Amino acid sequence: MILEPILPRVLSVRRIPAAHAALLESYGADLSRHTSLGLVTCDQDDATYVALDEATKHSPVDVIYARSFYAGSDHASGRLSGEILGVIAGSDPEEVDEGLNALLRCLEHDACFYSADEKGEIAVFPHVISSLGHYLSKEAGLEVGDSMAYLVAPPMEFSIGVDAALKAAEVEAKKIFPPPTETNYAAAYLAGEQCACEAAAEAFAEAVVEVGRRPLTR
Amino acid sequence: MQLAATIRHTTYCFSSVKEVLAKANAPKSGDNLAQVAAQDAVERVAARAVLSQLTMQDLRENPVVPYEQDELTRMVEDSLDEQAFSAVKHLSVGQLREWLLDATTSGEMIRAVSPGLTPEMAAAVCKLMSNMDLMTAGRKCEVVVRANSTLGLPGRMSSRLQPNHPSDNVEGIIVSTREGLSYGCGDAVIGVNPATDTAESTAEILCVLDALMKKNGVPTQHCVLSHLLVQMRALDLGCPMDLMFQSLAGTQTGNTAFGISVALVDEAWAKMKEQGTTRGPNVMYFETGQGSELSSAAHHDADQVTLEARCYGFARRYEPFLVNTVVGFIGPEYLESGREITRAGLEDHFMGKLLGVPMGCDACFTYHADMSQDELESLKVLLGAAGCAFLMSMPVGDDIMLNYQSSSFHDIPSVRRLLASRPTPEFDAWLVEKGIMDGDAPGPRFGDPTVIVS
Amino acid sequence: MSSRTRQLIEVLRIKLGEARPLAQPAPARPVQAKARASSGPKGVPRVVTSHQRREAVERFAQEASKHTTALVGIGSVGTRYATDTVLQFQAELAVAHEAVGAVLPKGWAESKGLLPLKSRVSDHRQFLLRPDLGRRLDESSVALINEEVAKDVDVQPILADGLSAVACMGAGMELLEAFTRECQGRGLSVGTPLCAQFARVWLEDEIGELTRAKVAVILLGERPGLGTGDGLSAYLVYEPKVGKTDGDRNMMSNIHARGTPPEQAGKRLAVLVGAMLEQRRSGVDLDLSALSAELGEAAGLGYRAPQEREQLVEVSR
Repeated sequence: MILEPILPRVLSVRRIPAAHAALLESYGADLSRHTSLGLVTCDQDDATYVALDEATKHSPVDVIYARSFYAGSDHASGRLSGEILGVIAGSDPEEVDEGLNALLRCLEHDACFYSADEKGEIAVFPHVISSLGHYLSKEAGLEVGDSMAYLVAPPMEFSIGVDAALKAAEVEAKKIFPPPTETNYAAAYLAGEQCACEAAAEAFAEAVVEVGRRPLTR
Repeated sequence: MQLAATIRHTTYCFSSVKEVLAKANAPKSGDNLAQVAAQDAVERVAARAVLSQLTMQDLRENPVVPYEQDELTRMVEDSLDEQAFSAVKHLSVGQLREWLLDATTSGEMIRAVSPGLTPEMAAAVCKLMSNMDLMTAGRKCEVVVRANSTLGLPGRMSSRLQPNHPSDNVEGIIVSTREGLSYGCGDAVIGVNPATDTAESTAEILCVLDALMKKNGVPTQHCVLSHLLVQMRALDLGCPMDLMFQSLAGTQTGNTAFGISVALVDEAWAKMKEQGTTRGPNVMYFETGQGSELSSAAHHDADQVTLEARCYGFARRYEPFLVNTVVGFIGPEYLESGREITRAGLEDHFMGKLLGVPMGCDACFTYHADMSQDELESLKVLLGAAGCAFLMSMPVGDDIMLNYQSSSFHDIPSVRRLLASRPTPEFDAWLVEKGIMDGDAPGPRFGDPTVIVS
Repeated sequence: MSSRTRQLIEVLRIKLGEARPLAQPAPARPVQAKARASSGPKGVPRVVTSHQRREAVERFAQEASKHTTALVGIGSVGTRYATDTVLQFQAELAVAHEAVGAVLPKGWAESKGLLPLKSRVSDHRQFLLRPDLGRRLDESSVALINEEVAKDVDVQPILADGLSAVACMGAGMELLEAFTRECQGRGLSVGTPLCAQFARVWLEDEIGELTRAKVAVILLGERPGLGTGDGLSAYLVYEPKVGKTDGDRNMMSNIHARGTPPEQAGKRLAVLVGAMLEQRRSGVDLDLSALSAELGEAAGLGYRAPQEREQLVEVSR
């Protein structure tokens, strides 16, 4: 069974209504605006980046920190660590709550990896964001509201896939993260019209599946 | 004139109007100390019943200190507005109470009658009123005065900023002043009680305050609360002085203990009108407080509420900008508890306003009085609701020099927010300009003393 | 919530030969309910809105503390105090009220070797309400003085509760002993050590009159201020007798460890007594110009010098 969703597992989600200034500062908060924090750990980093961006579209929060952990969730520092910690910050706990709700909805219903082979040994993230929030738009060098294809796969699969994606539609590579990354996947942000992004993501996923099926066929 | 009343078959007879006035008073430890209070609650009501029947004419004819013995009695009697008096002279005290509370009686109507009232009349009607009566009638009496700013307009509550320092350290005075201004306090006056009562130190403090106000364009008044004679000498040193201060008592002997007389205050007022630095026309600041006459054995067996009213009768001669009753400072032997201090604050505010002076109140307690911080906070709200012209304000309500508890820099904006009232219009605009207030809400620089440049 | 990516994948699965539909995701699960239950009030306390401004206010507070003990630069929550400020304030208030409410325990005077006297006041409430009674001795105290107390001394010291029995029991003995030692060191005769309960300042007049002392000195707890209940004051009067007024007295206040320490105060008071005996007067007429260096603050008007505020509340976390 291919392209089966691998649902992200939210390992922990907590809120600090009035965070200490030292903690706020260490995560890069703006002390003039940020008082409350929302923190989430998850076993899928890329789905979480997308979900964090989603939070910024539903609440006046900022993503002040989001980093993948080395070697991914299979080698985590603890049962709750997963492969990413994301931190959103707002001026009060209610803003943070709204942001966290949007984030969890996105992880449950939208952003996820898919299995690219029958055994579930290859995962692909061929995600289309029709309208960017202010977190990923900044990361990608795009405007809020732009469309973007967020593409992730293991190194080989990614290379073949992103090449196919770039050739499949009028898209521009805004950023490519070649291997090795923290989790040893590779990723790309491709920008274009929404339909172009969709075509690119589709071509990417199809290519990744194809590489999985015929890894040694030149 | 009938001085007896019967309650449940017991007849209570009183020998004088002064005794009736005293025994009609709400319970006060100071009246017990003076041994003039009613024996019990029933005698108190009997006295009130008698009082309710007395007319304004009766009260005018029976001042608590005789005309021959007391220059204040003479001053009030001789300067009473006969036309205004004729409008009320046949009213009984009970009728005056009802006339004041009547919805059709406006503030303007009360203001027209006020110059015809003696302090004893104001005190008499006060004794027939409950706390809420005092608030209801007190709020109607609007007294609007002007110095550098306009105080007493409806919907406005001002504050004295009281940046006292135990050794008159001017830097210490200035930091407390900057702090207070940043909370929207000080629109009535920035007034310092000096530790040293000398003309030089008075002048020094005034100069420093004046510079701070000019530099920051603060539309208010300054004052140093030294003795009148000291301030007169300070004026001669050539220092700026927006308001001149003096503590007043309700009898001639009480004022002698304060080192003043009608003639001396007349002289000071004339000097101030000439040399004072406000735009005016109101240039004087007086403080009073129930019990001060008894504390200098100058009470003439009168009760402390009536004597307090006589202070306002004295004050109104000088068209003051501020009159402040320092209600809980005197100690538990005069006002024992939160209940008595609360009552006294509302009584004084009402009587002062009725007699036409711009009444403020230092709602406060000393640490040996039986009043809680919560009771004190409640009193500030009651006073605000009653239309009190101004309250005090100091850091955390703690006067580090006089060692008592009053209202704080935080209380003033809180009471204003609760009652939808604002500072003087001049100060209001300045606060918005500085970012201290944003309309009636705290602004971006609220509580930030660095917004005031020293 | 519909997912565009999910729709695309659904189509791609079919294209790649996977016939089964995608599994439906789990229903949305809001965090709100749980988070609200444990949440604090809306709008978290923030002392000052901007970081830079908060630093500026903190600098202001630090600078201000060099000049005043007034609590300034404390910021606000809305228009009210931050919780720490409230607790500090309440602790200071509690210290003051505790000092005012304290009563000398029975037998305390005797345990210190002092002769116990009492004013005409019968209980603590009456003490607060009837200053007149606190200025006169009760009958048994008069008798006790007549029978047991040395007469015709140069100076009669009286330790008393005044408005803070806490202060009296605190540094009272230390002050009394230092003062006695200093007087004796100057060759003065010092009267029987006395301790008066429910005493006002003027009680020294009657006591001094009965002992025929040249100078009476009462050392008593002063009216507490916020956070302070341990201050003692001393009032001295030459030729004590009932009817003396405040103008006849000299005083020294703020005697405690953070103000004038008892040892130093005892010395200064002995200097004052010496001046009174020499000039045969006290109060406003006493000329202290020659002694100002020796007397320090005692030569002045006796205002209470600024006291360091103590941090009273520490919460263990």
